[in-house]
This record gives sequence, structure tokens and C-alpha cells, in this order.
Amino acid sequence: MGTGARSKIDKLAKFRGPRSRPGPVHLPTPLTFVGDDAALVAALRAGHPGAAAAFYDRYVEHVRLTLRSILGPDEDIPDLLQEVFIRALDRVRNLREVDRLASWLTTMAVFVARAQIRIRSRRRWLRFFSPERTRPPQLEQPSSDARRALRELHAILDQMPIDERTAFVLRYLHRITLLEAAEACETSLATFKRRLARAEARFRDAVRARPEFTQWLDEGTRWTEKKT
Amino acid sequence: MDRKEDLEATGDRFRDLILRDPRAHDEIRRGRAVFLEEVERRNASSGLPRGAARQRRRWLPIVVSASVAAGVAAFFVVTRPVTFQIGEARPGQVGSVIEATDGRTVPVSFSEGSTLSLHDGGRIRVLSLKRGDTRVLVEDGVVDASIAHRGGAPTRWQFEVGAYHVTVNGTRFRMAFHGADDRSLRVSTEEGSVTVSGGCLEAAKTVSAGEILEASCPAREVPAPDDVPAAEAALAPTPDLAAKAMRTERWRELLAAGRLLEGLRAAERANFDQVCRTATAKELLALADAGRFFGPSKRAVAALVALRARFPGSAVAGTAAFTLGRIVFEKEHDYSQAASWFETYLREQPSGPLMGDAFGRLMEARLRAGDTLRARTTAEQYLGRFPAGPYSAEARGILGR
Repeated sequence: MGTGARSKIDKLAKFRGPRSRPGPVHLPTPLTFVGDDAALVAALRAGHPGAAAAFYDRYVEHVRLTLRSILGPDEDIPDLLQEVFIRALDRVRNLREVDRLASWLTTMAVFVARAQIRIRSRRRWLRFFSPERTRPPQLEQPSSDARRALRELHAILDQMPIDERTAFVLRYLHRITLLEAAEACETSLATFKRRLARAEARFRDAVRARPEFTQWLDEGTRWTEKKT
Repeated sequence: MDRKEDLEATGDRFRDLILRDPRAHDEIRRGRAVFLEEVERRNASSGLPRGAARQRRRWLPIVVSASVAAGVAAFFVVTRPVTFQIGEARPGQVGSVIEATDGRTVPVSFSEGSTLSLHDGGRIRVLSLKRGDTRVLVEDGVVDASIAHRGGAPTRWQFEVGAYHVTVNGTRFRMAFHGADDRSLRVSTEEGSVTVSGGCLEAAKTVSAGEILEASCPAREVPAPDDVPAAEAALAPTPDLAAKAMRTERWRELLAAGRLLEGLRAAERANFDQVCRTATAKELLALADAGRFFGPSKRAVAALVALRARFPGSAVAGTAAFTLGRIVFEKEHDYSQAASWFETYLREQPSGPLMGDAFGRLMEARLRAGDTLRARTTAEQYLGRFPAGPYSAEARGILGR
């Protein structure tokens, strides 16, 4: 910041600002939350100041995996993470089975992800007459085999109806039980199984139509350049 | 790939790829920042709206076709009280402001099947929802209306658009009203007809399908909200005092309604320094948000500085210190000053919800300020407390691990 800008702030600061309080900073021992999920939920309900951050840090990878695997690359992931956790904070008083906190969060993440898919669909519909704008933004370039594989995966998942895509992701990427997955989708076990069966069939068909992808799956980590 | 085991193995590999995605760290950190900021905002200003960041996120663009609206209007609806919702799920309240921002179109769906689509920049209020008689105030912008006929029952819709009255006889039409500019009205009807009266029109005019009506009144006929002081001066017996009172209350009302930018502008017109001396802590935070989001940042700085001076030792004062650190870090690039503010936050709110972020930003600010020694110390402290925290990668980088 230039001298002028700083002096402007200094002029505004007609109080003892931080620079006027020199001396060693005694960084406090932060409130690192210690406790299991039951304690965490109790702390969240009590409005404990460190609980929200601890809650986020503990489960963010779990929630992100749900969002990212259902949605693929999406520039709104940070906002969607926030939305899931805010929804959770708003509803934590209603949580009954504290030991199923992760499953409960999965349900919310699925809800938010599905809403995001619907938003995308509408955007595409709204931009129907602008084909160049209907393509989702390319957030990542296939700079590595892994990213290329991920992009292929999401291209396959994008072709599935929302319900089937969600079922596939929860079962095979999350590896949660059928019952938990059905609950996360807020549907019956029988319905979930039917969706999953359809998703599996679609996935297999799509993979067969992508020889490079199949090879990557079969052989490990390397793409093989298509021979012409 | 025909066996479930193959699918499970495939899923495992992709799960690992997603977890090891190099952008994960950044997404998690950004998500953490907006989440904790929202938590802080809620704690500090529960009475005020959630702010632009939150509003941005879930306003949904929807176009509801007339056929859908007509389909929804089943006969049994006639016997129920009419309600409406904004977007997909937010219940509407009579009298509340409905705005479309961030380039989105906001749908307003009525339980009897009618829909309004509010285009970007538009602002309306539903004034009355009596059975068979609905009144809507269009303050600004473009509104597409699709009015449902409820099983042949008479439906009366009236729109108050500036000085004009638009009475609905038909089903689909568009209104464009520029309240803040030339106060012009443009009505185009796709189906049926509407009747426009008032304003500068000598007589009511019917606009039938395919027709367009354009009308414009001189500004003196209906003062715009921004011109309220001038209008009051012309009408009130004690013009100066009345206009001043209006200005004084205007920014407060706008902030309370969540109209941050307009609130900020109204506060500037009403003497920003004076506003900072009288505003509540919540209002000062709202003004600071407005300054940060819409600029200039000096307004945000002034509001936050005033907040710290007037509410020393409070949680919001700590939040103000953190936000000041962000402003000088991100906008002024004065990393030493930013580090001082983050230290201030940590000193004042050692267990505050922004503590982890303040710690990480302090580390980063010290590094950028060239204070490598203290940056390393902070990095060690950070890793000791948050070995897997969102700034842990940077901390390890500073320490060369």
C-alpha cells in the first residue's frame, strides 16, 4: 500500500490501531476441538466458537468427494461446500443419530449436488440458442492421464439421469452400503437397487464404447495413444 | 467390467483421483473461508440479511412457461388462500422486496398458477393477495407476467408501476419500467390484453396481443426513490428538516432490506461519517460488506474502523480487525499492515471462528512482507495446531519440509 493510501487509513483510524500497540504477540492457544462426533454435535448445538471450523475440517473431504464425484469439475464447489455445512448447522438440532453424522452429511451433499445439476440443466436450456455457451466450462485441461480419465468418467456420468448417477457414485465411489445410499437418496432400498442396476448397465455400455478408457481401466495408469 | 468387483475397483481408483486432485486443497480452503465468514456473519448480524455472497449462491434462473402455469392452475386451488414463492422454495411474504441480481432471472410462482419472471436488476413487491384480487408493485426493471385463469373464475391482477396502473385482462405480457432513469414504461402483450392507466396518459389504453405501449413521464410527476429528498423538499412544510430526516432513515431501511449497495449510496448521501457515528454494529458490518463488495474499499475501512472504535472488545470488533487485514492484504497489498490486523484478531478473539484463517493469513502475510523468520515461527505454530489444516501445505513449504 502506498504512503498516501496508508495515510488515508491512518486518518480514518482515530483510535489505537494495531500499529500503535507494538510488542510481542502472544498467540493464544487456539481452541482445537477435541472430541468425538457426539461431542462435536453437542458443541455445534451449544454454539461453541471453535465447533464450526472443527466440523468443517473433519468432514470437508467427505462432503467434497460426494459433490465432486456427482458433479465433476465445478467452479462452484467452494460455495457448495459452504452450502452443505450451513444447511447442516441449521439442522443439527434435529439430528437424532449422532453416530451417523457422516451419512447425514452425505444426504445433504446429495441434495445440494442434485440442485446444482438442475441449475446446470436450466442454464443449458436457457442458452439453447447459443451452442458455444452450452458446453460446461473447461475447468481443467487434460494435462495428465489421471485428469483425462476423470474427464472421461464425468462425461459418462453426465449422460446418466441424476438419480442413476447419484446411485452409482454413492455405491462405487463412496462405497457406502446400499441401505445408507438409499437413505442418502431419500428413497426405498428397492428403488435404489433398480436405479443402481440401470446405472451399472449404462456405465458398462459407455465404457465399452471408449476403448482408450477401457484400456486405462485394464492396464493401470497410462493412457495409450490411439493408433491411427 | 462385467463383475461388481470390477466396478468397485474402478470406483476406488476414481475416488483416489478425486481426493488427490490438485485443486482439492484450494477448493477446501476457499469453501472454508466462505463458510466461516458466513458463520461469523450469522453470529454478528442475525438480524440482517445474509449478504451478497449468500444471495448469489442460490438464486435460481427459471423460465416457467405459460403452459406449465396453466397446468398448475387446477380448480381446487380457487378455494385456497393464494400464496407465492420466490425461486424454487423460498416462501414469499406480502410487502417484502423481491429483487433479481447477479444476472439471474427470479421466478415468482403463485399457488393459483400465475407466474412472474423478474429479470436482472428488477425489483417488485407483492402488495396484496386477496382471493381473486392481487396487487403487485413494480419498482424497477423488466417483468414477464403469465396470469392463470382459475377454472373460469374471475381473476383480477393489478400492477402499480410508478404512476401507472396496469390491469390484467389477458394472460401473458411484459412490463419494462425504468424507475430510476427516465421513468418510462413499456408494455408488450403476447396473449390477451391489459389496460394501462394513470401516469401521463390522458385516458386508459388497452394493449392487446401483439401491441406495444410506450409512455414516459417527466421526472417531477413521480419522484424516484433516489430523488426523495428533492421531492420531499417540494412537498413538506419544513423542507430541509424533512429531507434530512428522509435521508437519515433511508440508508437504514435499505440496509435492513438487504439492499447493500443502495444502502451504501444512501449513507453516502446522508453524510457517511455521520452514519458511521450513529449506525449499530450490525449496520456498520453491512456497510463494510457493501464497501468490500461494491467499492470503494475506503468505505469499508471507514465503517470497520468506526465499528472498532465504538464497540471495542466486542466480537464484532475482532471480526472488523480480521476484515481490515483482508482488505489491506488483498486490495492494498500492505502485508505488514495486514499481519498486524491478523495479530489483532488473534489477540482479541483467541477462540473466535476465524482463528484458524487468521493464523494462516498471518503466516502468509509475514512471508510476503519479507519477515521470513517470523513466518517460519508462525508456520511451526500453525502445523503444531493444525497439522492437516487448510494452510498446512503452505506452512510446510515455508519450513522446507
